[in-house]
Amino acid sequence: MIHNAEVSYIPKKYHEAVCNWRDLYLPDYDLLMNNWDRFFPKDRPFQLCAYRSCNGCAVIEAGDNKGDPKYTRAAQMSEPQADTLLKAVKAQASTEFGSIQQHQLTLARAQDEQDQFWILRMMAEELRHGYQMFSLLLDDDWKSVSSHSGEDMVEEILAMRTGTHVLGAFNVDFDSFMDSIVFCAFIDRVGKYQLSMQKISSYQPMAQSMPPMLTEEAFHLAAGVVPLRRWVQKAAKDGDALITMPMIQRTINKWFPRALDMFGDERGGGTFVKFGFKPMKNAEAAGQYRDEVAQVIRDLNVRFVRARVPELSRKDAQRIVDEKEPGHGFDPEELLYVPDVKFFRRRGPHAYQQNDIDGEPIENKSEFQRRIRGYLSDVYAAGRDFGGYLKLIDRIAAGELTPPEAVPMLPNLSRVGGVCPCSKAVRWVNGNGNGEPADPGEG
Amino acid sequence: MTNGEINLRALSELDLDAVTAIDEKIGGKYRPDEWETRLMYYLRRDPDALVGAEVDGELVGFMLGDVRAGEFGMEEPAGWIEVLGVDPDHRGKDIGGRMLQKMFRNFRERGAKSVRTLVDAESQAPLLGFFGKSGFSETPVRTLEQTL
Ligand SMILES: CC(C)(COP(=O)(O)OP(=O)(O)OC[C@H]1O[C@@H](n2cnc3c(N)ncnc32)[C@H](O)[C@@H]1OP(=O)(O)O)[C@@H](O)C(=O)NCCC(=O)NCCS
Ligand SMILES: [Fe+2]
Ligand SMILES: [Fe+2]
Repeated sequence: MIHNAEVSYIPKKYHEAVCNWRDLYLPDYDLLMNNWDRFFPKDRPFQLCAYRSCNGCAVIEAGDNKGDPKYTRAAQMSEPQADTLLKAVKAQASTEFGSIQQHQLTLARAQDEQDQFWILRMMAEELRHGYQMFSLLLDDDWKSVSSHSGEDMVEEILAMRTGTHVLGAFNVDFDSFMDSIVFCAFIDRVGKYQLSMQKISSYQPMAQSMPPMLTEEAFHLAAGVVPLRRWVQKAAKDGDALITMPMIQRTINKWFPRALDMFGDERGGGTFVKFGFKPMKNAEAAGQYRDEVAQVIRDLNVRFVRARVPELSRKDAQRIVDEKEPGHGFDPEELLYVPDVKFFRRRGPHAYQQNDIDGEPIENKSEFQRRIRGYLSDVYAAGRDFGGYLKLIDRIAAGELTPPEAVPMLPNLSRVGGVCPCSKAVRWVNGNGNGEPADPGEG
Repeated sequence: MTNGEINLRALSELDLDAVTAIDEKIGGKYRPDEWETRLMYYLRRDPDALVGAEVDGELVGFMLGDVRAGEFGMEEPAGWIEVLGVDPDHRGKDIGGRMLQKMFRNFRERGAKSVRTLVDAESQAPLLGFFGKSGFSETPVRTLEQTL
């Protein structure tokens, strides 16, 4: 339930544009609405609107202007502040719409109806999150303080597709429903961090947008973790289970590095703190995230071990997991693990380094390419995202590029034809990759 | 962080195992599926209204509930305490009491004017004692039932 929050709507023209976008990328929306009471009895019905929490601190909580009143209008900020904030709003909005496009690819392949409706509800809530970001762009006069207009940004975001989104994680195609579930557990968790940090934003409309979004995000994380727990239980009990531990691990290997990239370069984030938009720099937030992921993985492993060896107590199962203790009727190598932070990165100090899953360097390029394929699913390794990555690795090895030069080259942003539901215009989306820094966590 | 201080916080999906473990310690049965279903229900409704109690970084108590209106024809919104548990090794330290107070604050913020709970007087007699000590009194509402 959304408590103590004011409801608002964006201007009709844009509201309709979002609805058109929804018809295109979330065609099962009506199915969700028609089955809402079946899967979510007693829950507040979904509404496509913006919520602003009525509570919240009135003074700036971090940075250079700590203690001053928070900004309630864009015009109260300096141009660099406004530009930095807009960059974050744009990236956030792009993630919301982008994830729906990804989930839509594999939604129909869910084996379990409940899992499917949880994901469908989550998609509708992501749409609302995008709508919420649009309300920030459209309710204020950004033109007065920045070279960007909110209206143009909304159009630009609605025209984005998998491959042209701001952050790498949202440009990767889903290959199976497992991607949907692992994405919720790992990528939405980064979303939770970004939202929690921005609860303190010095721009009050942003700060007040966060609590209702966080309420919904809590469900998104659980919609990933709970099915994962059930899958590891099945994998432990049933030798013929459709989903195995190595399959889950390969999916984690695909997403965890993208999740870390979403925090931005580990050396950056200072500008956001200075302007009072976030309380933590990138490295600190990414570190906390990594520890939380380790907790999720441990939880899944304990669930696996207790399902495999039911007579074990919780404490024994935890010890067996922590020490990878052999001799209990399964190979400890079957357990899940957290890839090293230096593995398969495309941003930050380890971008495009040839490291194995434990973070150890592999000098030889072909050896590296062979090994990294082995950590990933065949379908993903054959796809365009991984292909683009390998091309860059090749060019770096050939001395054509340095890793820092390669960083802004993915996503491979290109011309988006046609389908902007509100203008029908053909637009260029950050055409050459050398324009604005795409990362909300950078700076 | 080993001073035995009690720390109250909201619950999340990361607490599934710990909540399951407290229940296991109380009732002697490992019931992960039931707790997944149950916690999922509350998490998607109002995660901030769920209360967990930590001692030295370990979850030792939980309380689940929400604000509802219209139950038994009573229109005004009331907070409902639905499920709770305190680790038997940590009983009698006011953990249940502190969680209850936190729950009351959450309920008030959400517009509730009263707080209710249902207790089976036969199988949950200790809970009756706990709620009684905490200021709850019996209402004239009675549960009636027949087999179908
Ligand atoms: C009932 C329970 C929550 C109490 O937790 P606790 O942390 O030990 O309780 P507290 O220390 O906060 O006690 C608060 C008050 O209740 C009283 N109390 C607690 N248990 C009691 C009991 N069994 N009988 C009478 N009074 C009791 C305490 O004496 C204290 O009163 P005081 O303030 O006057 O001293 C705990 O025993 C429990 O989890 N029981 C099992 C619950 C269960 O069955 N859950 C599953 C079904 S929902
Ligand atoms: Fe979201
Ligand atoms: Fe989400």
